[in-house]
This record gives sequence, C-alpha cells and structure tokens, in this order.
Amino acid sequence: MKKTATTIAAIAAMLQPVVAQAASFSGRVTLPDGRPAFGAMVTVFDADGERRQTVYAAADGSYAIRTPYAGKLKVRVRLSGFKDGTAEQLVTATGSARLNLTLGTFANLGEMNETLSASAFNARLPWPNIKRDRPAFVSQCNYCHQMGNSWTRIPRDHEQWIAEVEKMENMLAMQSRAEGRVIAETLWKRFDGKPFDASQNYGASSELSRAKVREWLVGDGYTFIHDADVAKDGLLYGTDEGHDILWVLNRETGKIEQYKLPDIDLPRGGIFSGMKLPIGQFTGKHGPHSLAQTSDGRIWITNALSSTLMSFDPRTKAFKTYPVGHDALYPHTIRVDKNDVVWFTIVASNQIGRFDPKTEEMTVTRLPSNGALRWLTDQLFPTLMRIGSWFPDQALHLNLSTHRFFGEQILAFPYGIDVNPVDGSIWYAKLYASKIGRIDPQTMEVKEWDTPLIGPRRPRFDANGIFWIPAFDEGALMRFDPATEKFETFRIPTVGKDEYETPYALNVDKRTGQVWMAANNSDRIIRFDPATKTFFSYPSPTRVTVLRDFSFTEDGQVCSSSSNMPAAAIEDGRPSFICIEPEGGAADRTALGS
Amino acid sequence: MPTENRPGSARLNAVLMVVLALLVGYFGLSANGYLVPAAIALILAALLWLGRAGRLFKAAVLVNLLSGTLLVLVLAFGDFLGDSKLDVSGVSLLVNLLSGGPAVVLLAPALLLGLRPGKPLHAWFNRAAGAA
Repeated sequence: MKKTATTIAAIAAMLQPVVAQAASFSGRVTLPDGRPAFGAMVTVFDADGERRQTVYAAADGSYAIRTPYAGKLKVRVRLSGFKDGTAEQLVTATGSARLNLTLGTFANLGEMNETLSASAFNARLPWPNIKRDRPAFVSQCNYCHQMGNSWTRIPRDHEQWIAEVEKMENMLAMQSRAEGRVIAETLWKRFDGKPFDASQNYGASSELSRAKVREWLVGDGYTFIHDADVAKDGLLYGTDEGHDILWVLNRETGKIEQYKLPDIDLPRGGIFSGMKLPIGQFTGKHGPHSLAQTSDGRIWITNALSSTLMSFDPRTKAFKTYPVGHDALYPHTIRVDKNDVVWFTIVASNQIGRFDPKTEEMTVTRLPSNGALRWLTDQLFPTLMRIGSWFPDQALHLNLSTHRFFGEQILAFPYGIDVNPVDGSIWYAKLYASKIGRIDPQTMEVKEWDTPLIGPRRPRFDANGIFWIPAFDEGALMRFDPATEKFETFRIPTVGKDEYETPYALNVDKRTGQVWMAANNSDRIIRFDPATKTFFSYPSPTRVTVLRDFSFTEDGQVCSSSSNMPAAAIEDGRPSFICIEPEGGAADRTALGS
Repeated sequence: MPTENRPGSARLNAVLMVVLALLVGYFGLSANGYLVPAAIALILAALLWLGRAGRLFKAAVLVNLLSGTLLVLVLAFGDFLGDSKLDVSGVSLLVNLLSGGPAVVLLAPALLLGLRPGKPLHAWFNRAAGAA
C-alpha cells in the first residue's frame, strides 16, 4: 500500500536510560516544510490503546514526554491544518527514545475536512435568519452533543433530517415545531458531504507547551459519563448516566472499577419511561448525573431518571437511595455546602433540592416561575411526564407539551449550582430563563438577576466569592460580583471564521484563581486568567471532545469526563476520563533535560 | 330551527368558544394533542349555537370545569397527595381535555350560570329540545 506523506519522516531511536518513568520520548516536531510545529500535540498511546498522554510542542518544535507505558507504543503528532504523523516505537520499561516527528499534508480537501472540529461545519450552516433561527439549534442541538462532527454531519435527505429532529425531541430536545422544521431544512442543505476550504487556528502559546494531558478510555460506545469528580481519596469518580454505573479511576495505576447502582422499582427510563426509549443512550432506570462528596467521605449522586438522591460509601461500596419525592423532575447538578448539606437543582420542574445527610431530611423548594406561561409549564410538565408513563415508549405526552409552540424558553430550567465560599449562600443558574439566583440557606429567601447573555449553564465561585458563569448560547464567560451586583462579560475566542463556542461548564481552581471551561464545539479546553483577562486554548488530543464538570486534584490537575452523546461518535468510539496538568509538560522537559 | 330567538348569551358564548377552539386548534398544529379539545369545543359551540342536547352540553361543561379546577388545585396544593399527586393531576388533565379543554373552561362559569332554570340559556336549550 502506498505510503502517504503523513508517515513519520524521520525516526532516530536512540534508546538510553531514563531516571524515573518508562517510555520517555523527546525530539522535535516539524511541519512538512521543515519549520517547527509550535503547539503540535505529541501523544503516546499505551500498548493496548486504553490510555494515552499528550504534550504540546514548544515554539522551536521541541517536545519531551514521560509516560508510565512500556512495550510497542504508538506515537502520534497532530496539529490543526496538517495530517497526523504516526510512529511505533518499542520501548523497554526503563527506556527512552529520541523521536523526531513530521506532520503531513492532505491529499485533498475532503481529507482535510475530516480533521476539522464540528465548529467548522456548523459555522457554515445557511440559516434563513441567523439571529432568529440559530439560537434554538445551539440551545437544543448542541445541548447534548456536537453538531457537525463525522457522526452528525452524515448527508441525509430532507425527510430523514425531519425524522432525525423529531427523534431528538423524543430524547428531550425542546425545540418548537417551527424551529425543528428550520433546523431540519438547514442541516439538509449544508451537511451534503461536499468538501470545502477552511482553516482553524488553536492559538499556540508558551503556556501550551508547559501542559500535559492524560486520557483513560472507559466503558463502551453508549457509556455516558456525565460528570466526573475527584474525591478526597484522589480517585476520579464518574457517573454513567447511560448504564447506571459509577466508574472509579485510579489515576496512578490506571485501574478502572465499576459499581452498578442498585435496582429500583421503576421501568426502564425511570419516570421518563413515557419517552421513546432509550432516552438518548440512557438504558437504565436511575440515570446518575452529577456527584459531590461530603466530609464523611460519602459521594452523593443525583439520579435524573428515577428522581432520587443516592449516596455511595467508597469504604463499604454501599449505595443508599433517597426519593426526592413529589413532582421533582430531573435532579441535576449537585453541590455540598460547608455544613455538609447537599443542594441540587431539579431542572424540569424548576425546583431546588436540599438534603441534610445527618437528619436525612429532604426539602424541595419551588423557584420563582419567571412568568405565567413558565408557571403553567413548571406545573404541568411533571404531569405530562406521568401521563406519558401510562403509554410507555411512545412519547405521546409530547403532543400536549407547550414547548411544541413556544420552544425551550417555556421552561426556566435551573441547571448549575454552587456555594458561595464567602457567605455560604446557594447560587444557581437558570439555563432557559437566563437568570442567576441566590438562596439564603437559613431563610430560603430567593433573589434573582437577569444575565446579560443568554444560556447561563454551570457556574462556579472563585475563592473570593466572584461568580463565574459560562454563557452556553452565546459563547462567552460572565463574571458576577455579588457585592456590587455587576456583570462583566468576556467573549471566548473561536478557532475559525464565523465559528461560535459552546461553553458547557467551568470551574475555578481556588489555589490559582484560573477559570477552566469546556469549549465543546471545537474540541478544546479553555483557561481564563482573570488577572490579565486572557484566554488560553488547550486543544484536545481527541476529536469530538465534549466535557462536563471540571474537578481539581491535589496536585493541580484539571479533570473532567469526555462525554459526547453518544460516545460512539468520539474519535475512539468510547468516552474517557481526561486530566490536564498545566505544568506537566514543563515537568517532563525538566526531568528529561530538554 | 329557532334562530330568531337565540339569546345573546348563546351567540356570544358560542362565538367566543369557536374563537378559543380555533386558537387551541392552532396550537394543535404543533402539539397534535390539542386538536382533540379543539374539536370537542367546536362541537360544544355548535350545540350551544343550535340549542341542542342541553343535558350533554351541561354535563360536558360541568365536567370540564370540575376537572380543570381540580387540576389547578392539585398542582398548586397537592403535595400532600405524595406520589399520587401526578396521577390525580394527569387524570384531571385528560378529562379536562376530553371535555373541551381550555376553550371551554374559560367560559364554563358563565355558561353554567346561564344554564340555571329561568335563565336565557336554559330556556334556549329547552326550547330547542321542544322544537326538535
């Protein structure tokens, strides 16, 4: 078979002893014309392809990486705009290799298009009126997954796109009928498989070459690790909403364990059994969604499909289930306050849950409805879901849902939640109503503010009590100071012409003050430095990277779960745990003397 | 057909019910389930206009009002019902829709007041029945 220009140009394998870890590599990465490939990602895969580590090339093209792997390892170099270069290298447990890598050139536009992120494709969609028509697409189609990756841009005829949009509605997308028709029409027109010219710039920086990324593949193509959280034992826990499993990763050994959630007397799909099943890739009954840990070590999980709260004791591996009760619909993001009280949003019924693990008292509080129509929907939506459950797997109740004519705006949708470290107050973001709110944990008094940008999704506080909010629908970051009640907004830089970004979640490293956020339209992780008001872009080594919550390890790594829906659309066909070590690349350079 | 004696309240309520039914039917173009109450409301509007089937009309309006009231009360204050709350509200909603839905419930108080003996609507239905 003809060798392509993308194959490694030069391999100088000089095995030599190395101090600490196995399979260390260093060398230079060059562009096809011989210039240094600043920002190129050098990824080393372990022998069975289940784990990988990545560093970024410096301005002079140099790289150095230490890995715990040994054996016949695959090394890949990747940079936007160029064809991957790959090599295989046999490395002993104490060996290191000098390996120079060269990026290739594409044979044609089609080949280049395969390497573009989804953002390049959905930027070209010919909306009849972009201001009027695209918001529903961003809000409802980008809600769970990328639109424009190789899985979702398959050319379909008009009827197939209409059916596809209706299928998404059966999986809880809430576009109106009119919006759905425009979306189907627009996708049909542009996702035609015809190659086009485009360029993307991920903004290489010196910060990038200091970083290192680690990935661990988990589960199967329909595993959906919605959230990941680093617990006090240093292990990374992930809630698999697809299979009712709690995954646990030991980052040091790479060992992954799984714990099946206990059964419950509900049909498949839980209280959402009236939807077309499975709902997306949710094949279980609980739908574990978000998690947080109390000081006694127990991990608390919101079960979206069964409307229950669940605890997991890492010592005994025992689960315990607590019904949220009443008409609670879709318990969502969960946090723990300084008194070890558990707080969580309940998105589809516009409520906040409060659970005291000491007394096991559960309190559900209804949030302001933000208008008569939203009040009506808040009240009726759980009822419609119950009616649907009488006719399982048919989604008949959607024929009575007001979203069909008003769209998703008919719901308030309290989504993200966090605890202000300064005064202990509870804050939430309403995704569809575009509001943030504060709850006094003593009086339960609620105050809300309109956000200047729409789509506030999963916000977090920094150590000083500043509220950082991702504006999902507008590709921006919002800063809110509770003391002055003033907002400030920052537009996230995109990687290509006419592109937009979809920041799903963020977290603030309270030690450094850095804001880490998901950029799920373009396979990136973004870091924002509040001191300089500067964004830094970390391209993901894996195509189709959709990240959720971020969590920090004691040693400064930033961890998340890669959970596009379905995971089968991810480059590896499976989800992963992913951690960025902001200074990991620099540490490897120092250790290897590069 | 005694059109010349049709009371003003029958005309007004029938017209309003048609307008509301068309509005509900418009929503039904997107959410097809609303076509059912829209159609039933149109039938009730026709009965009202014609002054036919007074007992059926009154029963439907009464059921509609009771189910609608129960629905609102359960949604607003029904937490004490526990897990049964949504079953009660679900049945109430379906019964309300099958008896004309929101197009009827908005007019139901006025209609039921007008259907009391001695009132024009009562006379209208009885007269129509007699004429038939």
